[in-house]
Amino acid sequence: MRNDYGYFEEDQLGRVGDARLWRRIILLGLPEWPGIVLAVLLSFLVVGCGLALPYLLRLVIDDFVVNTALGQAERLAGIARLAGLFLLVMAAGFIVNFCQVLVLAWTGQKIMHRMRQMLFNHLLGLNMRFFNNNPGGKLVTRLTNDIQNMNEMFTSVIVTLFNDFINLTGILAVLFWMNWRLALLMAALVPLVVGNTIWFSRLSREAFRAIRTHLARINAFLQESLAGIAIIQLFLREPETEASFKKLDHEYYEKSLYQIKIFGMFMPLIELLGAVAIGAIIWYGGVQIMAGAMTIGVLVAFLSYMRLFFQPLKELSQKYAIVQSALASAERIFELQDSRALLPAAANPQRPAHCRGRIEFARVGFGYAPGQPVLKDFSLTIEPGEILAIVGATGSGKSTVINLLERFYDPDQGRVLLDGVDLRDLDPEWLRSQIGLVMQDVFVLSGTIRENILLDSHLDDAGLQAILARAQLQDFVARLPEGLDTKVGEGGRDLSAGERQLLAFARLLVRDCRVLILDEATSSVDAESEMYIEQATRASLAGRTSIIIAHRLSTVRRADRILVMEKGEIIEQGSHAQLVAAHGQYYRLLESGNGS
Amino acid sequence: MAGVSEAGKPQQTMADFGFFSAVRLVRPFFRRYRLRLLVGLLALLAVDFLQLVIPRIIKGAVDLLASGAASETLLVDKALLILLVAAGIAVSRFLWRYLVLGFSRLLERDLRDWLFSHLLRLDYPFFQKKPVGEIMALATNDLAAVQLAGGMGLVAAADACIMSLAALACMAYISLPLTLLTLLPMPLLALLTRVLSRRIHKGFTRVQHQFSKLTEFARSTIANIHLFKAYGRTAAQIRGFDYLGRAYVRDNVRLAAVHGTLFPLAGLVGNLSLFLVLFFGGRLVIVQKISIGDFVAFVSYLYMLTWPMMAIGWVANLFQRGVTSLGRINEVLIARPQLVGPEAPLAPPAAVGEIEVRNLDFGYEGQERPVLQNINFQIKAGEFVGVVGKTGSGKSTLCNILARLYPVAGEAFFWGGVDVNQLDLAAVRSSIAYVPQEVVLFSRSIAANIAFGKPSASQAEIEEAAAICGIHDEIMAFADGYQTMVGEKGVKLSGGQRQRIALARAVLLKRSVVIIDDSLSAVDMETEQAIIQALARYFVNRTCIVVSHRIAPLKNADSILVMADGAVVAQGRHGELMARNSFYATICRQQRVDLSHGEEGHHA
Repeated sequence: MRNDYGYFEEDQLGRVGDARLWRRIILLGLPEWPGIVLAVLLSFLVVGCGLALPYLLRLVIDDFVVNTALGQAERLAGIARLAGLFLLVMAAGFIVNFCQVLVLAWTGQKIMHRMRQMLFNHLLGLNMRFFNNNPGGKLVTRLTNDIQNMNEMFTSVIVTLFNDFINLTGILAVLFWMNWRLALLMAALVPLVVGNTIWFSRLSREAFRAIRTHLARINAFLQESLAGIAIIQLFLREPETEASFKKLDHEYYEKSLYQIKIFGMFMPLIELLGAVAIGAIIWYGGVQIMAGAMTIGVLVAFLSYMRLFFQPLKELSQKYAIVQSALASAERIFELQDSRALLPAAANPQRPAHCRGRIEFARVGFGYAPGQPVLKDFSLTIEPGEILAIVGATGSGKSTVINLLERFYDPDQGRVLLDGVDLRDLDPEWLRSQIGLVMQDVFVLSGTIRENILLDSHLDDAGLQAILARAQLQDFVARLPEGLDTKVGEGGRDLSAGERQLLAFARLLVRDCRVLILDEATSSVDAESEMYIEQATRASLAGRTSIIIAHRLSTVRRADRILVMEKGEIIEQGSHAQLVAAHGQYYRLLESGNGS
Repeated sequence: MAGVSEAGKPQQTMADFGFFSAVRLVRPFFRRYRLRLLVGLLALLAVDFLQLVIPRIIKGAVDLLASGAASETLLVDKALLILLVAAGIAVSRFLWRYLVLGFSRLLERDLRDWLFSHLLRLDYPFFQKKPVGEIMALATNDLAAVQLAGGMGLVAAADACIMSLAALACMAYISLPLTLLTLLPMPLLALLTRVLSRRIHKGFTRVQHQFSKLTEFARSTIANIHLFKAYGRTAAQIRGFDYLGRAYVRDNVRLAAVHGTLFPLAGLVGNLSLFLVLFFGGRLVIVQKISIGDFVAFVSYLYMLTWPMMAIGWVANLFQRGVTSLGRINEVLIARPQLVGPEAPLAPPAAVGEIEVRNLDFGYEGQERPVLQNINFQIKAGEFVGVVGKTGSGKSTLCNILARLYPVAGEAFFWGGVDVNQLDLAAVRSSIAYVPQEVVLFSRSIAANIAFGKPSASQAEIEEAAAICGIHDEIMAFADGYQTMVGEKGVKLSGGQRQRIALARAVLLKRSVVIIDDSLSAVDMETEQAIIQALARYFVNRTCIVVSHRIAPLKNADSILVMADGAVVAQGRHGELMARNSFYATICRQQRVDLSHGEEGHHA
């Protein structure tokens, strides 16, 4: 089953005739040219061995089995000699075939790996606007399924197609050499087979597409029904749900039946053409033999070659479909590769030695989508060490302030400055290392708690213990059997929302950033965690320029200044006492929280 | 179609689900489609028989040529005969593909229908144990394995048997010793195919596993991209992706090595037999034991044997997987809902909406600690009851029990004064509107989602329900209004919007009992309060049970249940609880610590 993470892409067909596309694909494979050349060379050997065997069969019959001119002992010895040769060629064929498969797999996989890394690398450098506009599932599909599709083409198709081509020309060459008239007759069948194949591959592609779409529908329906089973049962909707499912299931059955019919017609048709070939060989070849223009051995060899001849033709349609789907993937991959959604980099990015933490928004205007400004002429100065709380309803622009400060986005108008320097002139990595961010959703790496706290920094145990104490994690870590080396994240221990928050504070304290951004969690944590988080917050805020997106009133009260935002504008600011006294929007917010 | 669920009898034991258990499970389907299967297999037999005829015709032609007795008319006759037989093969082949493969699709469809209608009858305790992803894999991957075994597997098995027996018979007719000799490598081929296809399966599983790790890594990186950027961790992620990618390359090459052995090996063994025919058969012609025509026909029969021999290993594998998958499906089919109504239910009580819980204990299966312990409370018809308590105190479990999603042991839950176990399940459920904590909306229009429980609802009813839940204006702001589609292809709704639509879905039903499990956590406090007040007014004569992690919106409830560690520690009005329950008072203080500033007297 393809794992699409909820992202379902309509099948598209690549343009097989697009030269520009092919050039890029070839360029990708170029660094692996030794492997590709080796695989092609091996192809000749594989084909050679395959063709030699029926020819040896012919020699055995014509030269010895029916050759009454020779003595019996001589004939038997001849057979033994050729049989030995047969054995040898057979073994060689096996070995070169195996080598070819390995070389191909290795080369193809290396190309894919390089592509995947290149794409991933490119992707991580893109700006946040790009990630907001592109669903995650789509990007994951590019990195995994699309690249996988191309691999199919590299390993199984391109070289086997080459194999087949050499094979067919080889067979035709041998047939012409043995008897050109009969060979010409055989060659006349090729367009018929190819035409049939192309017609069939067109039909089967449509059939498969319909099947996949219907299976995806069944899956989506199942997922929804199972997730909502309680609702379905409580609202007594079982009969309708069952009927809808049966309908979907039956449609899927009908689509698969259609595919069976198409396949059921194609295979027999090709074999019928094969029978025409056999009939032709017997009739025409027989007449030639009677006329003394051909030997029985040649006739038998012709019959054997026909079998080899039809096999690759039967598979041609499958391969054509793979190439088409791979090209569609390639097109999508290159499109992603070509996206230039990068933050403009400064000519000489600055990395100041010291950061004081003075932040200024100077007449900033910004919107995520054109024509929908989120911030309008927004100005704000935060002095080093000041604690600023921002309150306001969802959509008031609180988070946008943070996104701009982290330089996930650049402002449309105005400037954002840190210590008087425009963020656009700073090295983004340096900038982000100066800003500590504690978010609602804390990312937990799968690794030990120690790794999760230190990330890339280094700190001795004593220092780490001190930080654990300040982040209120000491008791928690002490209770764990393996302490700091306890595995967390995927496959490890689960952390509660409260514990995750504390972990984020510990990370921040390790890095000792000058600016702290705290996006408080709205989710309910229990009273004990609440207390811990409060103490950790207090420890973290001390001495840092802090911006708090506030939900908890306790933190708001501690702030030096409170900003009330509405629709991208500051509508009130001042200390808690001042704002309460003013009886404005802030006061009303408090009131509703109170429930009085 | 109603007969599907009675069509087969699931095996009652889970252990030792072997080949014969699988056969018993699918036998009814074989019986249902027996005519189709019979004709299909006859067509298959015809294909195999006709295929054997062609080499005989070729032999005849070659022998004619060798003996010099051939004439053009005789040769044309032979060629036409071949064409005629081939046409027969083509028609028969189409027939069996259509009939037998069609059967496997019918089997798949019927099994899926059966599975789904059975799933619809299972209850919460079952879904607690089986994740949705696992069930979906059953309905797709496992059923596909069963379909393959029942279609291609069946055909290949029948085909391999008929073909090999017939080819062998013809070969033995030409020369028994030569036949025995050429057969020597064949068992080797079957054995090798079996061993290697197992290794391929293992290798493939490993590659798939590595692939899903790679996918998950990419997904989680992209989903958390802002964090990685903020923490300057992108380089580390690229390294991690590289590491996984290399492991994936390695596993793929390993798999290719097995593939690379299997297929050439099959050819090798086939050619080994050909070598034996060449060496010994050639001798037999020379010593005039067999004719040259026999020799050529023998080679043709040999080609026919290669495929069945390879198929044996493949078919064994196919059946094995089919049986394993069927075993997994059977596990679901033997599951029985724990929550079933009585055979002879009592008449529904007159006092609908009156709920009493007496000495209720409840624990999830396989968990030692009970979730609810000795719960006692009474709710009068028409009351508005709030439930508060910390995360994990058992609020949601209690809601699930009250909504009749979990079974209750007898004499603990009284519905209108009657033990709920004595009442018809559907009858009880039809008087409850429940809004679970986790929002589930379906991929259809907003209107259809709100009218989910009552598809006949009028637009006015739908809009009224939406208005009470404070979502009407927001719905109207969408370009398509109430016809806006929900889900992947539709509009992206916020958590709060989804919650309010789910609430409206319950409100529309106007049932006697409404249970709302913390269903407004994603909307801000002001809105939550307004909605709950509107609900209280709207449901003035209905029993309303509302869980919230915020106390403020529940202040005016007729009664508040305070839960802690799976027990109801207090019940009363807000004022009473503030005065006499220190636990409740503590939660209140925590939630409004700053608000009490200078205003304590206001709500004390």
